[in-house]
Amino acid sequence: MILIFYSGVCQEPSGHLRGKNMDFGYTREEEEFRERLCKFLDRELTEEIARQNWEDKGVGPEAREFSRKLAAHGFLGVSWPKEYGGQGLSPTYDFILLDELGERWGAHIPLDVGYTMVGHTILRRGNEEMKKEFLPRIIRGEIEFCLGYTEPNAGSDLASMRMRAVEEGDYFIINGQKTFNTEAHYAEYHWLAARTDFDPNIPKHRGISLFIVDMHSPGITVRPLITMSGEQTNEVFYENVRVPRNRLVGEKNKGFYYMMEAIDSERNHVFTPCRLLPILEELIRYAKETKFMGKPLAEDPLIRDKLAQMAMELEVAQVFADHSRWMESNEIPMTYEPEITKVFVSELEQRLVDVGMQILGHYGQLEEGSKWVPLRGRIEWYFLHSFMTTIGAGTSEIGRNVIAQRGLGLPRS
Amino acid sequence: MDFHFSEEQKMLKESARDFLQTECPKAFIRKMEKDPKGYTPELWRKMADLGWMGIIFPEQYGGIGGDFLDLLVLLEEMGRACLPGPFFSTVVLGGLPILEAGNESQKKEFLPKIVKGELILTLSHIEPATTQFDPFLISVEARSEPNGYSIDGVKLFVPDAHVAHWMICAARTKGETNSREGITLFLIDGRSSGIKWELLRTVAQDKQCEVVFRKVKVPQERILGGLNEGGKILEMLSQKAAVAKCAEMIGGAQFVLDMCVSYAKEREQFGKLIGTFQAVQHHCANMLINLEGGRYITYKAAWMLSKGIPCTKLVAVAKAWVSDAYKRVAGLGHQIMAGTGYMEEHDMPLYSRRAKAAELAFGDANYYKKLVAKEIGL
Repeated sequence: MILIFYSGVCQEPSGHLRGKNMDFGYTREEEEFRERLCKFLDRELTEEIARQNWEDKGVGPEAREFSRKLAAHGFLGVSWPKEYGGQGLSPTYDFILLDELGERWGAHIPLDVGYTMVGHTILRRGNEEMKKEFLPRIIRGEIEFCLGYTEPNAGSDLASMRMRAVEEGDYFIINGQKTFNTEAHYAEYHWLAARTDFDPNIPKHRGISLFIVDMHSPGITVRPLITMSGEQTNEVFYENVRVPRNRLVGEKNKGFYYMMEAIDSERNHVFTPCRLLPILEELIRYAKETKFMGKPLAEDPLIRDKLAQMAMELEVAQVFADHSRWMESNEIPMTYEPEITKVFVSELEQRLVDVGMQILGHYGQLEEGSKWVPLRGRIEWYFLHSFMTTIGAGTSEIGRNVIAQRGLGLPRS
Repeated sequence: MDFHFSEEQKMLKESARDFLQTECPKAFIRKMEKDPKGYTPELWRKMADLGWMGIIFPEQYGGIGGDFLDLLVLLEEMGRACLPGPFFSTVVLGGLPILEAGNESQKKEFLPKIVKGELILTLSHIEPATTQFDPFLISVEARSEPNGYSIDGVKLFVPDAHVAHWMICAARTKGETNSREGITLFLIDGRSSGIKWELLRTVAQDKQCEVVFRKVKVPQERILGGLNEGGKILEMLSQKAAVAKCAEMIGGAQFVLDMCVSYAKEREQFGKLIGTFQAVQHHCANMLINLEGGRYITYKAAWMLSKGIPCTKLVAVAKAWVSDAYKRVAGLGHQIMAGTGYMEEHDMPLYSRRAKAAELAFGDANYYKKLVAKEIGL
């Protein structure tokens, strides 16, 4: 194609980008990987394991075993560097893994905090010793981390955290309290953010460091907090916990910067639209199989419209995700794009579950295990769970501030 | 997966934006809204000189041989600029079906002239009975006669019929009113006797017409794509036109967002820039979410269409989402611009009125959600 310019000059585009064109497909190698993976998952993944993989039930022995098998068959670490046990390929492979897991009962990587969040920061910021110690075990699906960020008085305003880590010889002595630390009751390690500079005159985000803390360390107490949907999250108390200096991640006082640097990739890995697909599919099946006044619900125009709206929004969610994943895979700096995915996918989960509850009518209120319960009580559980999705990992409101300020350059409030 | 625009597309976008900023200022748009023709031959000529009318036509017909995605890039800029005139009618609704369904002599007859800017075309399709969009609801009849066909009936919402040299008319040659079988497309000379057009007064002040056909004679060789084969062509054309319309809408929505963000960065109330208020920030964030989702889903649908991958669902999703999304963006834009944006002379109404017209063109969200429902197995 030759372009004629406004100035009247004809110009043929030159250079290496000529062949580069929009493409929404996958390569042959990626499709082959997906095919092998699907065969494995169809054989090995059950609804029970899928539910252990997500916060629903919490990781148990079945999910642990599945995690090791996933690794043994070469499905973990494909996108990770070879020197730490990976295969050195594009992040696209990890996204395919997330999609295929998600399409099966909303499953996730079994030990997902280590694999999809912490591991990437260790890779970026950890020293060689730390990488060698942790990355191969993450890729083998053997260890899990829990995030130690939120505190009772540091929620959306995370940088105001008060947990104290004071240097003493080769150790940091840590005191304080964290809250909403999901996975703390079964993770091997705490990915802990704590204050290491107490000067009141510096900006509060400049005095925070990240640590890897062995959850068996003396002085750590984990107390369960049970959520309205029955999941366990935890409060974690530190009393003079001694953490060796070599467990400081990267540089001292740079922790908050590392957390923020990681957040885009974390959103790409956690908020995967495919995890909502099984809910939609169950509702479609239910609408076809369930009758009202002798006619399937699927013939009711109102119900058709609601389900079509959800199917439409899921496709839009998928292109949001594809776009920010593409940026990550090609190392294009992300600023607000994964935040859009996060806000959209989490709010879509609420809309989808609301549609589900409307379609189920009276039956929607029945819990798993109840007489007469439809769809194994999954919609009722998602209904309760969905209150969390627009809060966890940053509220929708903070998300929109980020989109407006980082994406559109609006001034800070 | 690759979201890059090609180097050609970036150049096209830039040059189109520069050109339209100079040649299509807002005052010109307002003038054209009142103008009986709705475009100027001077600007039309310049666009043809830039090769725009030939963007999707092969070089053998004088075009520049771009693909559907290239056309979308251009349409996005036209939507951004609110470009008035018969470009969409001529290239998308007229030229595209001739390219895809015409025989060689029809292509040779029409395409080079379209490319040179010598012909304006349109499609007459919708009818008074189309109270809800449906591309196959055709009752205007083409009766077989010794030397061809005779067409009778009324078509509505025919864009630019008042200036079209030729129009494609979808008429029934067989079957029931709402059947996709038995529709035939005819190429009709706009000056044929028996054709009467009248401009309709519309929300976007665009030029949509009622066209009345009274015993309009059409020779056999003016059939486009075969007798009773029109349904398939209409289906293809509706899909491409819907996605092309999405691109225009995305361009318009982008302009609205850009305008609101600049305004929020300079307008002060309560002694502060309104852009520091979270309520305003969240409106802007919502506009961006609506817009970007629309852009990616539009280009994905276009990519599938240009690769020939079946995409009934994706096209439906794109038009449904973008129709609603542009409407939401325009609504939020008015909220940020407030009283000043409600004034006729402000730019905001140019966009919110076009958002409505574009939503209705080639099927709104209600229509496409019905298709999605079928596609997901309901």
